[in-house]
Amino acid sequence: MNLWTAALQLLQKDLRLYFRDRAGMVLGFLLPVGLVTVFGYVMQVAFGGGSAMPKAELWVADEDGSAASVDFVAQLRKADTIVLRPKTGSPPEPAAALRDKVRDGDAHHVLVIGVGFGDALARAAKPPLEMVRDPGRQMEDYAVQIGVMQAFLAVSEGRLWPVTMGETMRGLGMSAPFTERLVGLGRDMQGLIEKFGGGEEPAARDPAVPARPGGFDLRSMFTTMVPMTTTDVTPPARPKQLSYQVAQSVAGMAVMMLMFGLMACSTTLLQERDQGTLRRLLVARMPRGAIVLGKFLFCFVVGLLQMAVLFGYGELVFGVGCFRDPLTLLMLTLAWAACATSFGMLIAVAAKTGKQAEGLSTLLILLMAALGGCWFPIQIAQLPWYGELVTQSTLTWWAMTGFQGMFWQQLSWTHPTLLLCLAVQWGFALLGGGAALWLFRRRYLRG
Amino acid sequence: MSITKRWRTSPATMRRRSMIRFHTPGAACYPGAVAPLLEVRGLRYAYGERLAVRSAALQVERGEVFGLLGPNGAGKTTLLSCVAGLLGRFGGELLFAGAPFRPAADDGQRALVGLVPQELALYEELDARENLALFAALQGVPRERVGLAIDAALQLAGLAERARDRVKTYSGGMKRRLNLAIGDLHEPPLLLLDEPTVGVDPQSRNHVFECLGQLQQKGRTVIYTTHYMEEAQRLCDRVAVMHEGTVLAAGTAAELAERAGVPGADLETVFLRLTGKALRDEP
Repeated sequence: MNLWTAALQLLQKDLRLYFRDRAGMVLGFLLPVGLVTVFGYVMQVAFGGGSAMPKAELWVADEDGSAASVDFVAQLRKADTIVLRPKTGSPPEPAAALRDKVRDGDAHHVLVIGVGFGDALARAAKPPLEMVRDPGRQMEDYAVQIGVMQAFLAVSEGRLWPVTMGETMRGLGMSAPFTERLVGLGRDMQGLIEKFGGGEEPAARDPAVPARPGGFDLRSMFTTMVPMTTTDVTPPARPKQLSYQVAQSVAGMAVMMLMFGLMACSTTLLQERDQGTLRRLLVARMPRGAIVLGKFLFCFVVGLLQMAVLFGYGELVFGVGCFRDPLTLLMLTLAWAACATSFGMLIAVAAKTGKQAEGLSTLLILLMAALGGCWFPIQIAQLPWYGELVTQSTLTWWAMTGFQGMFWQQLSWTHPTLLLCLAVQWGFALLGGGAALWLFRRRYLRG
Repeated sequence: MSITKRWRTSPATMRRRSMIRFHTPGAACYPGAVAPLLEVRGLRYAYGERLAVRSAALQVERGEVFGLLGPNGAGKTTLLSCVAGLLGRFGGELLFAGAPFRPAADDGQRALVGLVPQELALYEELDARENLALFAALQGVPRERVGLAIDAALQLAGLAERARDRVKTYSGGMKRRLNLAIGDLHEPPLLLLDEPTVGVDPQSRNHVFECLGQLQQKGRTVIYTTHYMEEAQRLCDRVAVMHEGTVLAAGTAAELAERAGVPGADLETVFLRLTGKALRDEP
């Protein structure tokens, strides 16, 4: 019996065994699908769809109750970077209770709108606002600050800029009389702006420029502060609803779970050894390499099936656009299945016991999944050069770069980036497969 | 003609002839084939520094049931592994029907031997027929003969009625019989049974003995390792006593007793006399 015939016999046997274990098989397919679902939705919710900025929770206590403070709270609720608490319709909580929440670690940011907030805004004076925060939650701090600034500028319509400037200059050491003069000057300017915006200073209008409906809009001033043109560009083939995080989740979970799945398949070699069937295969009238080749083919076929299920699911549920370029998808999938299979075979052959294989593979897979960017986009980590070197030396990094290149950047397999990814993965598949065969001969064939 | 071709081209002939000739220990089944079926000359094998078999020598004649008797660690399984082709880098020489025999390096030579491992080497999620079909294919049984070979094996194992049931639903005895039938599936001239009754209940042991009886009737040459004296005495035409990697003596039970200076004694006494140790005292 020649090598391929024997290997195909063994493949048929392993597939039959695999599909006989219905519970195991269903779990093998459903677990990755479940993880893709959970990660996909979590990332989508956590990152607000396509936005890169995560939302932070902000509790608010409105002690003023004026129209201005109510408007301020409404503006906070609209802010892109804030999830405002209490929820709409829930009873308000007093400031003291919210302070306790921060102290107890149940909240990290609380904004207290003090009595007199509305009056202060009307007078363009400094309003009574207090931020109570947990200093350990710096990451959320940025999101909260941005959201509060956004809402405050909207509700104050920018009238408080002279006060803000005065505070800043006092901080820099300007004397009180000079600060007062500066703030007074600012208020005069603000008054002129408001009068002009309200149509009370027709003499100031340039007849050549048409009046803007709605009058003065502070946001337009901020957008014109930096003289630049903003153009949004996305690859035309990318699905409109696809966010980076969802593409990341589908690719990441597929890459990671395939490794786990194939690890389980390749350890069937150890099971064969433990149950004695390996001895029987070794004395059969066939080239012994067929045993390794048969296992490789089995893992490879199961891997392809798992990837097909995952990408089909990703397409149906998240609209990732997996099948936009079937050839590229097929090439990336074949390369990763071969690469992960070689890795699994190498571990299975190198390990002396099933427990060793499980422990070692779990450690390596989780490590590679984290470093390779399966869990979150590793690019955002701002790693030093040696950190990047480590991430790029993982198999998962190359697989992720390939799949994200296809899903997000809409690259084709002929693109140099994807060609490099394919080459690296096939290179490892050959090296790892060769090493597995060598180890198998060394370990199981004594002579 | 090479040894492999000679055996490969004649299984049907061998079967016909074996019905007539193989039941007689020491009888030759081929015209002019006078050499023993298997000859082991000065076999040595070491696992690293530890010498498991040291200069073992024995001859197994055609059609006989040859017992390898010895305690755990005596080197029985290592010797069988060399003959089966699981271990290749051994010292000394193996001759099969008088020709050099290196089964580890030659797929065809491996087909001359059937191995029945000590453990139940079966795929429990497959049924008996599927197990047999797989090993028939891997052993190179011609496609047109696979069906017949499987039926014969099922007959031998007494599992024709349960052929489509998964192995995991079988009793221990049924599994033992299937294990044995798989080893004999491709009708090898030499069948190696590695302690087939270790850890099995008396009923299952009797099933194994029944199968062995059928194999004897078919004229198979069998090497049977055991550390049960009464089994060796009951089943084997000749016995070799192995101890610490060497074959101390070989012959019929009566010959061994004679040689040990205790004529008429049982194998247990013979073993004690030859080794100075009781068989079951060994670790």
